[in-house]
Amino acid sequence: MMLRDRTAVAGVGWTEYAKNSGVSTLTLALRAIGSALDDAGIRHSDVDGVACHRVGDSVQAVLVAQALGIKDLRYHLDMFGGGGTSHQVVAHAAMAVATGMAETVVCWRAVNARSEFRMGGTGRAAPDALEFQYQLPYGYATPPQQYAMLARAWMHARDAKPEDLGRVAIAQREHARLSPRAMMRTPLDMDAYLASRWIAEPLRLYDCCLETDAAVAVVVTSAERARDLAQPPVLIAGAATGGGHTLFSNGRADATVSAAAELAPRLYAAAGIGPREVDVAQLYDAFTFLVPLQLEDYGLVERGETGGFYADGHASLGGLLPVNTHGGHLSEGYVHGLNHVAEAVTQLRGAAGARQVAGAEVALTTGQPGYVGGTCSALILRRDGDPVHSSGQATAPMGNEGNGA
Amino acid sequence: MSVHPSMDRDSTEWWASLAAHALIFQRCSECQTWRWPARAMCHACGAFAWRWQPASGRGEVASWIVNHHVFLPGVPAPYVVLNVRMAEQPDLVLPGAFEGPYDDPRLVIGAQVEAGFADCPGDPPAALLRWRIIQSIA
Ligand SMILES: [Zn+2]
Repeated sequence: MMLRDRTAVAGVGWTEYAKNSGVSTLTLALRAIGSALDDAGIRHSDVDGVACHRVGDSVQAVLVAQALGIKDLRYHLDMFGGGGTSHQVVAHAAMAVATGMAETVVCWRAVNARSEFRMGGTGRAAPDALEFQYQLPYGYATPPQQYAMLARAWMHARDAKPEDLGRVAIAQREHARLSPRAMMRTPLDMDAYLASRWIAEPLRLYDCCLETDAAVAVVVTSAERARDLAQPPVLIAGAATGGGHTLFSNGRADATVSAAAELAPRLYAAAGIGPREVDVAQLYDAFTFLVPLQLEDYGLVERGETGGFYADGHASLGGLLPVNTHGGHLSEGYVHGLNHVAEAVTQLRGAAGARQVAGAEVALTTGQPGYVGGTCSALILRRDGDPVHSSGQATAPMGNEGNGA
Repeated sequence: MSVHPSMDRDSTEWWASLAAHALIFQRCSECQTWRWPARAMCHACGAFAWRWQPASGRGEVASWIVNHHVFLPGVPAPYVVLNVRMAEQPDLVLPGAFEGPYDDPRLVIGAQVEAGFADCPGDPPAALLRWRIIQSIA
């Protein structure tokens, strides 16, 4: 049985994005879920499945189910993992619905990532990972440091300059300025980017995402049922997970290609949609360099060509392939990937207002590309209706001269 | 300058060897693949038979970072952390500290390095890796 187009995202919901929410992660989760259910036009008593991921930083899935009043929980997933698993949670919800285990599954990510539990920082113990013993003694254990290590290797291999990362931060800030939800809406220019302080070289402050108190939720149900609900359905055309190696598991000799490269062919085949048919991409951007890296690994831009792609404005609204139209984790807020799913759905509904990509029919949305946790996950979503795109064959990546979308 | 390492039941012997200033890795008795960190099974062939084997202690800089932020109390910034690709096998990559200034111009990807050891106070006795450049390509 293929998953293709059998399920849909019927609702999306957000809490406010804040530096200090003042409430528990349970309350954040319920608020986002409530907002997503209202959006879909579904009563909370109709939910029979729940799914989330966390790394010891958020409320348990079953507590949320109890608080929703679910008396007979037909499906639940409470996955250990960071952003690499974010899209896998939605994929699992779709699998549960497609196989008949549940009818309506809510997925969420709820974190007080600014006021309570900073990633790898103060406020909590190090995650339950055996590999930390080899890093922590050197004062090396937080995501900016781990990603800086990988960024240096990638930049060296691609001959990327600081300005190449700066253009990513600036393009996304320009998108965020068009979104009332975004945390960071003041203009950012190259001088300000280059003048921002080092966190861990080669990453500066503006290369790093914005830890946020927030929750985002999405409602997954069957495509058939979604057509009777309040919003135009956004079909889950394809889902894939992949990768597995980290720098601590042997097997990854080359740090310049991510786990996304492993799963991308499966993802496109699952959806029957090729990289050239993607109209808008929401790419996991805990740090700037992950965006050009994924443009390469998902076959959207030729390796080594991403600098020119950005310099020519192709990743901005109006370009060949607008990327992170909500501002991404860098400027909208860091909800560990699920806000990328929500933005992809918003774009495919044609409801993105000033930041709408005209005629967007197909969106790629991705989790952390497996650089630290090892595994990666991603979704291809599409607007409901007859398949307008044909191939499903892996087609050549878009170069600077490609006609792209 | 450091934090005493925590250990697990698989890694105790590796850390004990480091405390005695010797760098060792597991090596599969069947297919001879090197592996690190310590695991019961060979990821290449699935064999459980293995032995500890002394390593050359030499490798090349796979990447490095300069930490400008105090990420851990007791580790003052700025400081360097290296990832070193061991000469034994290209996917054998270890982190460690750097013997040299944070802005050392010899520090480039591909520079040849050799393992040194820095004793780490605490119990049980422990040491950390401290890499020094033996040949730069800068
Ligand atoms: Zn073997």
